[in-house]
Amino acid sequence: MITRFRAEITTAAATALFGLGIVRGALEFGIGWDSSGPQPGAFPFYTGMLVTLASLATVGLTIVRRVAGSAQLQEHFLDGERARRVASFFLPLFAFVVLSMTLGMYAATILYLVFAMRFQGHYGWLPTLATALGAAAFFYLALEKFFQIGLLKGPIEPLLGL
Amino acid sequence: MDNIANLMHGFSVALTTHHILLMMAGVLLGILVGVLPGLGAPNGVSLLLPLTFSMDPVSAIILLTSLYWGALFGGSTTSILFNIPGEPSSVATTFDGHPMAKQGRATEALSFAFLSAGFGAMAGVVLITLLSGWVANFALKFSSPEYFAVYFMTFASFIGLGGASPLKAVVSMGIGFTLASIGMDSVSGNIRLTYDFDVLLAGVSFLIAVIGLFGIGELLLTMEEGLKFDGVHAKVRIRDVLTTAAKLPRYWLALLRSSAIGIWMGITPGGPTAASFMSYAMAKRSSRNPDKFGKGEPEGVIAPETADHAAGSAAMLPMLALGIPGSATAAVMMGGLMIWGLNPGPTLFTDRPDFVWGLIASMYLGNVVAVVVVLATVPLFASILRIPFSIVGPVIVVICFIGAYTVGSKPFDIWLALAFGVIGYVFKKLDYPIAPLVLAMVIGDKAEDAFRQSMIFSQGSLKIFWSNPLVSTLMAIGLALLLFPLIGVARRGVRRLATARDQ
Repeated sequence: MITRFRAEITTAAATALFGLGIVRGALEFGIGWDSSGPQPGAFPFYTGMLVTLASLATVGLTIVRRVAGSAQLQEHFLDGERARRVASFFLPLFAFVVLSMTLGMYAATILYLVFAMRFQGHYGWLPTLATALGAAAFFYLALEKFFQIGLLKGPIEPLLGL
Repeated sequence: MDNIANLMHGFSVALTTHHILLMMAGVLLGILVGVLPGLGAPNGVSLLLPLTFSMDPVSAIILLTSLYWGALFGGSTTSILFNIPGEPSSVATTFDGHPMAKQGRATEALSFAFLSAGFGAMAGVVLITLLSGWVANFALKFSSPEYFAVYFMTFASFIGLGGASPLKAVVSMGIGFTLASIGMDSVSGNIRLTYDFDVLLAGVSFLIAVIGLFGIGELLLTMEEGLKFDGVHAKVRIRDVLTTAAKLPRYWLALLRSSAIGIWMGITPGGPTAASFMSYAMAKRSSRNPDKFGKGEPEGVIAPETADHAAGSAAMLPMLALGIPGSATAAVMMGGLMIWGLNPGPTLFTDRPDFVWGLIASMYLGNVVAVVVVLATVPLFASILRIPFSIVGPVIVVICFIGAYTVGSKPFDIWLALAFGVIGYVFKKLDYPIAPLVLAMVIGDKAEDAFRQSMIFSQGSLKIFWSNPLVSTLMAIGLALLLFPLIGVARRGVRRLATARDQ
């Protein structure tokens, strides 16, 4: 079980690492002074430091509050029931992103909506297919035809001659 | 009376059939975005922005601002009918709006909400009309140190007055700044912080961040809560609207006070959410019967709605006149102005008066159009919310990712949006404020440029930020705002010591 305390510490540690990463990256470009004023790395260097320091302070403050016995930090960040609900939404969403990369966004849209409606929402095949194909057709007409913006396409669209 | 003449010219720009149609389309899309959970005003503007790149800037900004008005109205509709705030800024409207709806006074609550919102927005726009030219003239005296001081003040007020933990606000803001500095450095022309990844060469777009943080993050949170819509049916009849409108003048004091609060919070970047809560609290405190609040008191609807919309429109003043957005949505719009090739700030008033005054005129018209459209379409949008979330949720997901891709036609942006979605979910659960991150991403480059130019003027001495009365005043205000939370901590500490001594 994840408590809020653990979640706070993990997040603050992650942002601290992010800040350090930026600091390291900024050092490559010089953080000092040259003929054109402050070097390109200076501003990111200091903002990265700021993120790291504020994150470390958050860690410190969270530990102090934990020692002081804060009830809020003992709460569950995510209990079983809630975790299941988030996962049942997030995993198909993640699959949608992967499918978008491999099969293209239109095919991914249809597969994702079919999965969500038919297998998660338990709708009949007719409303499911109507919604999924309708949505894909709407995006195709609105974006490709009206706004002339192409979406990411996969191997299927050329077969259909689109 | 230059402003009036300019405004009349603005009306001639804004009052065309094409623009009125765009306003209606924008308002309708906005209400939809405001009604649906997971899609808010900043997100709606981000999704629509790539589609406007080919439009002329005046039409584009009219479409986007109308969407903003529509989203604010849509947020109040769900607050009243479903007890679910469609926007964070309409949380305070649920306190009395939903009880009214449950007592069978839904039409009255909705009419009060929309009409007082319209009043608040008008108050904000009148202020913009009167002050924007003056503020812009004043800001023409600014050079780099003053600009940096104003940016500093903006972020200091987010940290000091934002309500969230100041440390977390600093983290959020710092992440925004570092993300803004990825890619091309506009001063030296160097490519920075790409860590040898080609996909980072063009930088990280703030639009992707908004779509991920506000859209996907919000959806994950909504799913976790296990959302159930259990609403009150509403039919809006013209006669009921008119009888409610006739009652509105009775609340003149609440209207004026809430407009003032909203305008103040909109100009200083407190934002609409803080404004609506503050206005509600003030209304309750000054009311003769505070016990009625929370049980369906019309003033409890009027106060937050007026302040919310007054803040929403007043937030456009610093964006136009200074190039500093007063809210997350204004930040996205300002990013849009820069993409269209406009330079938000005082010079915009002299360079593109048609744009500025066309926009201001369109705010008057847009709000009137919005009140009419929203009253006419309440039943329609209420029925949209009856579609189960297992259909609406995935469709919103698809819209968000398609929107992310259309920003730059880069597959990498889809992954980035996903990552921002997870970050947004965690940040919201742990009370990290997200608006400072977006603001820092939009004005990060400008703040950095201002800082570096100041340093060049002064040969690296920080004293330049205290070199004349104007910049010193701005910096002093910024520092005071920054230290504001410390005063609260110190006060509490002293009180604790005092009580400890008594015992």
